[in-house]
Amino acid sequence: MSALQHFLAMGGYAMYVWPAYAVFFAVLVVDGVAPRLRRRRILRELRGRLARQAARERRPSPPAN
Amino acid sequence: MSASLVPACSAMLRRDLTLAWRRRGDMAMPVLYAVIVVVLFPFALGPDLALLQRIAGGVVLVTVLLAMLLALDGMFASDIEDGSLEQLVLAPQPLALMLGMKVLAHWLTTALPLIVIAPLLAGMLHLPAAAMPALLLALLLATPLLSLLGAVLVALTAGTRRSGMLLALMLLPLCVPVVIFAAGAVAAAQEGLPWVAPVAWLAAALILCVVLAPLACAAALRIALDS
Amino acid sequence: MATWIPLWLHKLGSPPTFYRFAGAVMPWAMGLALLFGVIGLYGGLVLAPPDYQQGDAYRIIFIHVPSAWMSMFVYAAMGVSGFVALVWRIKLAEVVAMESAPIGAAFAFITLVTGSLWGKPMWGTWWTWDARLTSELVLLFLYLGVIGLYHAFEDRRQGARAASFLAIIGVINVPIVHFSVVWWNTLHQGSTVNIFGHSKMPWEMLWPLLAMTLATKCWYAASLCRRARTDILALEGGKDWVRAIAEAEGAR
Repeated sequence: MSALQHFLAMGGYAMYVWPAYAVFFAVLVVDGVAPRLRRRRILRELRGRLARQAARERRPSPPAN
Repeated sequence: MSASLVPACSAMLRRDLTLAWRRRGDMAMPVLYAVIVVVLFPFALGPDLALLQRIAGGVVLVTVLLAMLLALDGMFASDIEDGSLEQLVLAPQPLALMLGMKVLAHWLTTALPLIVIAPLLAGMLHLPAAAMPALLLALLLATPLLSLLGAVLVALTAGTRRSGMLLALMLLPLCVPVVIFAAGAVAAAQEGLPWVAPVAWLAAALILCVVLAPLACAAALRIALDS
Repeated sequence: MATWIPLWLHKLGSPPTFYRFAGAVMPWAMGLALLFGVIGLYGGLVLAPPDYQQGDAYRIIFIHVPSAWMSMFVYAAMGVSGFVALVWRIKLAEVVAMESAPIGAAFAFITLVTGSLWGKPMWGTWWTWDARLTSELVLLFLYLGVIGLYHAFEDRRQGARAASFLAIIGVINVPIVHFSVVWWNTLHQGSTVNIFGHSKMPWEMLWPLLAMTLATKCWYAASLCRRARTDILALEGGKDWVRAIAEAEGAR
């Protein structure tokens, strides 16, 4: 058995050790990505609001015809 | 000031009891719920006497707890709707004391009927008569504890719209020790072991909560209604 | 405000200053977390020898125990900042308390899952009602209760104060739960499992554990900074400095 295979086998406990590490990293990745997505959404909504506000200010009254 | 406290307390208690009495049907609901749950257990587990005896204490305790949880939601609900709770916050009497009276009224109207039918529920599950005093004493100490702890949480959710499931989620961690000691007393009595120690722990917790929970409840209500 | 609190702390309490401060701290904390994480994982998975009793299964300890410590540490941090938020009504303390809750819940969740994956080969069962496991589960429920209460309010700051109060109640509750579950276990004489059978850990197993603990601590700092920054942007949406950020990011 090569060194890598030996390492991946984890002495026969591979099916417990690797899922544990997978859960650890998956949860932390979600923890890291979620606020980034939220930040992007907040800023996009804010930009949308600012754009609408600016459009209203450019045309203070609706066209007469 | 202190002279006006006693009349204020009794007026508060009388008001809540009168309101509860006018809606007697609502008072019967938790009792009915407890009976239904306990009746379902033998159907689910089979009428095996030994098994039912073994789980009787725990089932009655958990059923009473769930029935109380069902009624907990409505503790301050009508007072928030008609604004009388805000009046209470502004009243010159200490808020904690008034809330303590409300909790007492709530306990009298929801938990006391449950305790009264608890021997019947336990009898349906064949709890030995020797364990009955332990069960009743445990319920007498555990239910006011749950009412007091629940009142703090209900006060915290006072400013929110939906709170039913949230209340259960918040109450679970708080009621774990209560259930453990109450059920522990019943189990010990059933096995013929001394059961005073868990009951004494419950009593100690109750005394602590009688003093602290109304204060916490008042603080929580001030947070939840502050806008 | 009290005069003994240094001025820089007051300044740090203002959202724009904290936003910049957290932005400066975050990459460092993240870098340290990754550095310690790589060192700890290499030491734990490759260098450390297999355990004489548990074989290689014990290697779950390098993520399980740091996560368990962090789930308690984050709860304590949440309780303290919740207390500060209630007493001094500092907006930033509310943000820190409420943004700590999801991180702590994540660590509590990791602890339960990895513990269960460790328990299966060692005890032959995914779950046992041991005091430590039950307390950790209750801790997760406390986190979920705090998060749920926070989101139940329409007014975010009011929700943060109510949830902070619940967090403080939980700080008192956790030792009581632990004590009562220990008592319960002695009553029912369940199988007492002791996962740390050998308390003296050899150094080549201990240092990766400490490195991983530092890594999770730094991760918490980085994640908290990122979450707090995001939350501040949401809270201060109407302010000019937030608009400037929004426009600068939109131009990119």
